[in-house]
Amino acid sequence: MNSPRTRFYLDKQNAKWSGVCAGIADYTGMDVTLVRIGIVLLTILGGFPWTLIAYWIAAWMAPRKPIELYSQDREEQKFWQGVRANPRRTTRDVRSRFREIDRRLADVETYVTSSNNQLAREIEQLR
Amino acid sequence: MAEEFLLPIFIVGMLFIGLPWIILHYVSKWKTAATLTTEDENLLDGLHDLARRLDDRMATIERIIQADNPNWRALAYDPAEDALEDRSSRTRILEAAPERSNRPTRRTR
Repeated sequence: MNSPRTRFYLDKQNAKWSGVCAGIADYTGMDVTLVRIGIVLLTILGGFPWTLIAYWIAAWMAPRKPIELYSQDREEQKFWQGVRANPRRTTRDVRSRFREIDRRLADVETYVTSSNNQLAREIEQLR
Repeated sequence: MAEEFLLPIFIVGMLFIGLPWIILHYVSKWKTAATLTTEDENLLDGLHDLARRLDDRMATIERIIQADNPNWRALAYDPAEDALEDRSSRTRILEAAPERSNRPTRRTR
């Protein structure tokens, strides 16, 4: 868990208090509001000191999110959330994208070669 | 009487043995599950980026061909079809045959 893109960060730019909830939302891809409501409900429904302790420990231990990881588009963010959840599945997805490209390229190749044949045949007929 | 003695023991046991056990169990599971090194991550990032760029380029090329010949997919899917229509040129079928036999090996790779 030492690689820079798949570790847990405090999301200070979207933080309300210390950025733990925003960090969880950014890590998992869940909605920030849902995470906050969930934590507050958990605190009210019996987890009173423990959630706060966990929050402080997380806020104290986790590093801030580096500034260069913020400037990503939405699709990139979703991709890395998928990697964090299940790296194997994401790798399979990337491989299937390459296969799809290969298939499309094969179609184009077939079309180009066959249309060249067509052109050659028409020239042949003109003679 | 026995319940009054046993209940605190159960609670203390759950709090100090059961809870850390569950937490440590999931922590160790989480550590073994996420085995992605920095190199793997960079590689995956590069591959993802490459796939996206290739996807865009393929889309561009397909659009160009589409503008050139709207029913090119019909030609691309069955190259022997228009060869079978005119049976006068025997060479056309022979030329198309290797392409057809070539296609399944592409798909299974």
